[in-house]
Amino acid sequence: MFRKINILLLVTILVVSGCKPDDFQKLDERNWQLVWSDEFDGAEGQNPDSLKWTYDIGTGQNGWGNQELQYYTNRPQNVSTDGNGNLVITAKRESYAGSAFTSARITTQGLFSQTYGRFEARLKTPYGPGLWPAFWMLGANIETVSWPQCGEIDIMELRGQQPNIINGSIHGPGYSGGNAVTKGYGLQDGRFDEQFHLFAVEWFPDRIDFFVDDYLYQRIEPADVSGEWVYTQPFFLILNIAVGGNYVGFPTEQTPFPQTMVVDYVRIYEEAN
Amino acid sequence: MKVHILTSYKQFIYCTLLLLFFTGCERTTDGLDAPGFSTNPDVFIDTFSPGLNYAAFGGSLVTAFDVDIETTYNNTAASMKFEVPNYNNPSGAYAGGTYFTSDPRDLSGYNALTFWAKASKAATLDIVGFGNDLGASPYQTSISGLQINTNWHQYIIPLPDASKLTAERGMFFYSEGPEEGLGYTFWIDELKFENLSSLAHQTAGIFNGEEVTVSAENGQTIQITGLVSTHNLPTGINQSVNPSSRFFSFTSSDPSVATVNPEGVVTVLAAGTAVITATMSNLPASGSLTINSVGEVIKPPVPAPVPTRPADKVISMYSNAYTNVPIDTWNTRWLYSTAEEFFIQIQGDDVIRYRNLNFVGIEFSSQPIDAGGMTHFHIDIWTPDPTNPPNSFKILLVDFGADATYGGGDDSSHELTFTSPTISTQNWVSLDIPLANFSGLVNRNHLAQMVLSGDLPNVYVDNVYFYNTGAPPVTPATAAPTPTYAAADVISVFSDAYTNIAGTNLNPNWGQATSVTQEAIQGNNTLKYTGLNYQGIQLGSNQNISSFAYLHLDFWTANSTTLNIYLISPGPVETPYSLSVPTSGWTSLDIPLSEFAPVDLTNVFQFKFDGNGTIYLDNLLFRK
Repeated sequence: MFRKINILLLVTILVVSGCKPDDFQKLDERNWQLVWSDEFDGAEGQNPDSLKWTYDIGTGQNGWGNQELQYYTNRPQNVSTDGNGNLVITAKRESYAGSAFTSARITTQGLFSQTYGRFEARLKTPYGPGLWPAFWMLGANIETVSWPQCGEIDIMELRGQQPNIINGSIHGPGYSGGNAVTKGYGLQDGRFDEQFHLFAVEWFPDRIDFFVDDYLYQRIEPADVSGEWVYTQPFFLILNIAVGGNYVGFPTEQTPFPQTMVVDYVRIYEEAN
Repeated sequence: MKVHILTSYKQFIYCTLLLLFFTGCERTTDGLDAPGFSTNPDVFIDTFSPGLNYAAFGGSLVTAFDVDIETTYNNTAASMKFEVPNYNNPSGAYAGGTYFTSDPRDLSGYNALTFWAKASKAATLDIVGFGNDLGASPYQTSISGLQINTNWHQYIIPLPDASKLTAERGMFFYSEGPEEGLGYTFWIDELKFENLSSLAHQTAGIFNGEEVTVSAENGQTIQITGLVSTHNLPTGINQSVNPSSRFFSFTSSDPSVATVNPEGVVTVLAAGTAVITATMSNLPASGSLTINSVGEVIKPPVPAPVPTRPADKVISMYSNAYTNVPIDTWNTRWLYSTAEEFFIQIQGDDVIRYRNLNFVGIEFSSQPIDAGGMTHFHIDIWTPDPTNPPNSFKILLVDFGADATYGGGDDSSHELTFTSPTISTQNWVSLDIPLANFSGLVNRNHLAQMVLSGDLPNVYVDNVYFYNTGAPPVTPATAAPTPTYAAADVISVFSDAYTNIAGTNLNPNWGQATSVTQEAIQGNNTLKYTGLNYQGIQLGSNQNISSFAYLHLDFWTANSTTLNIYLISPGPVETPYSLSVPTSGWTSLDIPLSEFAPVDLTNVFQFKFDGNGTIYLDNLLFRK
């Protein structure tokens, strides 16, 4: 989610997986133990659990590094539980504090972080040109070593103008922004904004596996990155909808607003011995 | 709906003007085959699909469509080429036509009509769609204003509800006019129905999703408009189409108040409130129509009084009693006017009904009315609405001045306001307004507009005309002609032109009822008898007029029916002379004195008048 250079090049390396969800994959059995989760069972219109989530507010620096257009708030109209067991992040087209859009970005920074394990969220994305939803992680040492040295794992991000394709990526020193290690996964028969889908990474010392609906579509190992493998320390979680920015392009008059990302749950596991 | 969409751009004639193409390979029908229709999704893939025909719309350039083998999508064998004519092309003003199959197809397994298109320049296609079968076209659906450009792009027309399309013949139609007056060319290729998994988030709406409220009355019909179905395309943007009403199911919350038919026509039946909503398939449509019905319309039970003014003294704008002058419109529909006009009959009498009247412009500038010879404006109005103060009814008259056109610095106008008790509820009110009351109306020779307004939303109007009362004027407009006889030849009794006999008593008390005054008319002193029965004049001294030939006088009366003048000598000896009344203007008369025989002309000393009415007299004198 931190980009510094021409991100549009990414398009050329997008590989839409041709695999069907019912393709058979033989994966090793794992014994995942739930260590942290949010089922978002709060009442309608409530902010998410403050013991689990904190907020990034405002416009960041240079649009959070990406020329993004939204102003992040912690208002319930931008981020709240819906009373039906979901968290809803809502991006609106509205004039607010000098920005043309509002949205929300919640993180577990300072509240929860973990090294290795399975990180998953079941969610339904927004759609429309210029919408950029993501479920991702940053290295908890970002305050001391900064980005991209801290590392970034994008479990799911999507361009609203391609609502049937998500991308999984990692950014680290020497391979960030447009040079990130990334792969797309496309639905041949549907869109990520119509039904809930389960997005996950399984992170081990020697690899990071990317899943959509428990289908492994990408495995990244230290040998696949051109720089340092920095995925050896705790990472924290982020959920957000950005509006506009280098990665996604800008919303148009035709982009439908408001747009929501509906998150059923976020669950973090570690592997039991 | 279907006709409406198309006629909003151009006038289409749904007859088959020309079959440009008729493929030879129609689907064979051997009656043994089951009822299912062909599910062939292809419309034009390098060539006409089996059974496909083309017909150009009426008034279009019939040669606009052709098959092109040079400019094709993805270097395929052929594409559809459309040459949009220039503005005012005598062969056809636009490109437009429909592609339809001889036998219906079953399209229920698809959710979109897709095609690739490019154009010789960036352009906006006025209408593209499907479902035009040159007949009833029950499921016609279209996109208005589809933007295309000089690159090949794929375009998607989402089907509103494919389950309805089990027997469809209209595969594709289009209508496109020049872009800013200039023709150009566009191409379409790979035109086919598809089942796209990438369409999502369908919504439907009536009245474009608005919640519309109207007041209505029995018998009124209201067409549900603004039908829309929207899908989110694979590109994340929404694409709306305009479906026919047949894709919707309409419901009235109270069918006793208003019903709605499958064509989306609402009919109001009774007083009350009904809400019309719709669904498409199982999808609730946004938008609604709330009808607040007043029930039966309150109408005048009887016609307005029949005018009795003679037709030759009337300029009538609207009346069965007269020949009316041409009126451009009884409702100019000026901005912010909510007025609706209906031409109805009350017991055979034509009446204009205005509803939702805040103000209404009435224009007759094409042939302005010259009311210069008129004295009054008349209008009959009837309203069911409360007329108690401060409610009012207003009439504005506008004269365009000598240039007979709006503006130009010579326009004038005046508005009059009428309140209770002049206006009243549920009664015909006849307003007879002196034009002089429109004091700001400096001229009235080029009257061109009238505006009715006020606080009465419902007004019935009849017998709108200007008229001249025909009543004679009460006073002479001009002075009596000044006599030009030499003073030496005159003995004057009453005249500003001569020295009169001194000491004459113009109002001797002979027991008469007549009132005698003197009035200056155009500065000329005039003798006036009001309520004449008889009236005498006592000369200041006896006169010998035997050497004079005539008694001269000027008289003016509008209402006298009998009038005599007597010359009197002592005795008395008197002889009447009958004066012709009433007069048309001043009558100047020279009566030979012999007419008064046997009066002694050497010694006359009195005059007498008898008769009736109001008489003006001047220049009473003897002359040679």
